[in-house]
Amino acid sequence: MALTVAIPKGRLGDQAIKMFKSLNIGEIIDEKSRKLIFEDTEKNIKFMLLKNSDVITYVENGIVDIGISGKDMIMEEEADIFELYKMNIGKCKMSVAGIKGRKIFQEDAILKVATKFPNIAKKYFETKGQKIKVIKLNGSIELAPILGLCDVIVDLVETGNTLKANGLEIFDDMYSINAMIISNKVSYKFKRKEIKELIELIRREDEKYDKDN
Amino acid sequence: MNFLKIEDEINFSQTLYKLKREIENFLHNEGYMNIEPSIFEGYDEFTDVNFRIDKKSTVKVFDNSGEILILSPDITTGIINKFMTRWELGLILKIFYYGKTYMFSNGIKEKRQMGVELIGEKNENTDESVLNTALKIINKYTDDYLIEIGNSKFLKGLIEACLFNKVDYDNVLNLIYVKNKQALKEYLEKLPYREPISTLLNILDLEGNFDEINRSLNGLYMNDLMKEGLRELYNIDEFFKNVTNKITYDLSMVSELSYYDGIIFRGYINGINKEIIKGGRYDSFTEQFRFNVPAIGFSIELDELMKYLYKGVI
Repeated sequence: MALTVAIPKGRLGDQAIKMFKSLNIGEIIDEKSRKLIFEDTEKNIKFMLLKNSDVITYVENGIVDIGISGKDMIMEEEADIFELYKMNIGKCKMSVAGIKGRKIFQEDAILKVATKFPNIAKKYFETKGQKIKVIKLNGSIELAPILGLCDVIVDLVETGNTLKANGLEIFDDMYSINAMIISNKVSYKFKRKEIKELIELIRREDEKYDKDN
Repeated sequence: MNFLKIEDEINFSQTLYKLKREIENFLHNEGYMNIEPSIFEGYDEFTDVNFRIDKKSTVKVFDNSGEILILSPDITTGIINKFMTRWELGLILKIFYYGKTYMFSNGIKEKRQMGVELIGEKNENTDESVLNTALKIINKYTDDYLIEIGNSKFLKGLIEACLFNKVDYDNVLNLIYVKNKQALKEYLEKLPYREPISTLLNILDLEGNFDEINRSLNGLYMNDLMKEGLRELYNIDEFFKNVTNKITYDLSMVSELSYYDGIIFRGYINGINKEIIKGGRYDSFTEQFRFNVPAIGFSIELDELMKYLYKGVI
């Protein structure tokens, strides 16, 4: 029974593939090709390259056994999956940011929050007792406060350069984010040994990244 | 593209009918009696006894006096509600049912279930005999299955000994539920150290083969309730280890329903993404009705079993 692994396309996926390849796993994967499925017949693992936000959906529905996904997506989707291993790649923060120097909001009872992550935003502000209105956006979140669409944004921050370039600053750091290896719950029961072995291999490789960064 | 035709629907229905009949006959031969569960339950009555049920997801209806009723989200709770208020001591009930449960989840979700309850009997092999019944049912339809068994006493004994407050309790349980070992470790390390935490740090490794679990527990903290839970699993392992290799154990098993009290088990078929069988012992559930009646049971998710069995019109 082959193990199926979902890898997100993009930078996180590229790092993960590099990790697999240095373990001599998935050498057949060609990121430049248009193919989306690669089978390592020797190691009996099938890789699928998916859009990063779809990895969780495929894992939760049991189409693939395990996948690599950002903690941000896992928190947002609230999917019924196992979070088996936190990796040292894909590190960043989920933060609240807004126009530099305009951190204090006292006039308006309802804070307007623009984000790609409505569930995370709702949950976070609920714990703070702050009423909000969520405005769901799909990209260029940094523009929203400048153009007056919202008071603050909730977004992933890696270096903070994009924020700075747009005259924004971080008001609060909410959560630290990492890439995680997630697993389908039923697959985990039937392929526990294979899954644990693979994670153990990755863990050894992954720990090197902790030192690199 | 061909969409569902009447013929397909009838054919599906026939297959389901045969499946139901087969399981009913089997359970009848095992000495279980049929009852017909009620679809309607009183909202207050139901949520009072089963406080873990997600109230928002229950499907509410009103009767003509404005009383709120719900369409049953859990048949066992309904059965217990119905029988416990007029229970007679010494009674032993071996019953099975076919019914539907209702929940909101993107609209109203209807699930077909069959189930077994054994109420009023508890001797040294009651757990084993009910488990065996579940095993026989799933075994009728496939070889590619697993039964996973846990014991709520173990985790309960452990968590209670940690003396968590409500927030820590919920967070810890949630991390166990998603098997996030690193986050659990980070979280526990921030809390004041207590001896039971040594076992809790290892809880996610206490899964698989029973002997291995037992070995991993060597030297770790255990209290009486945890030992009792472990002993019950040991007895089950002794009973089944030479009979089948389809049983695995998971001491970190967390149940969505609050009423389990003792062994909990789930049956899976390889390739089917949901549990096929769910069950466990729920003695403490009956205590709310002033009687201390032992009870154990399980349900079979017919829709999921059909996904595995039904291959369409041939």
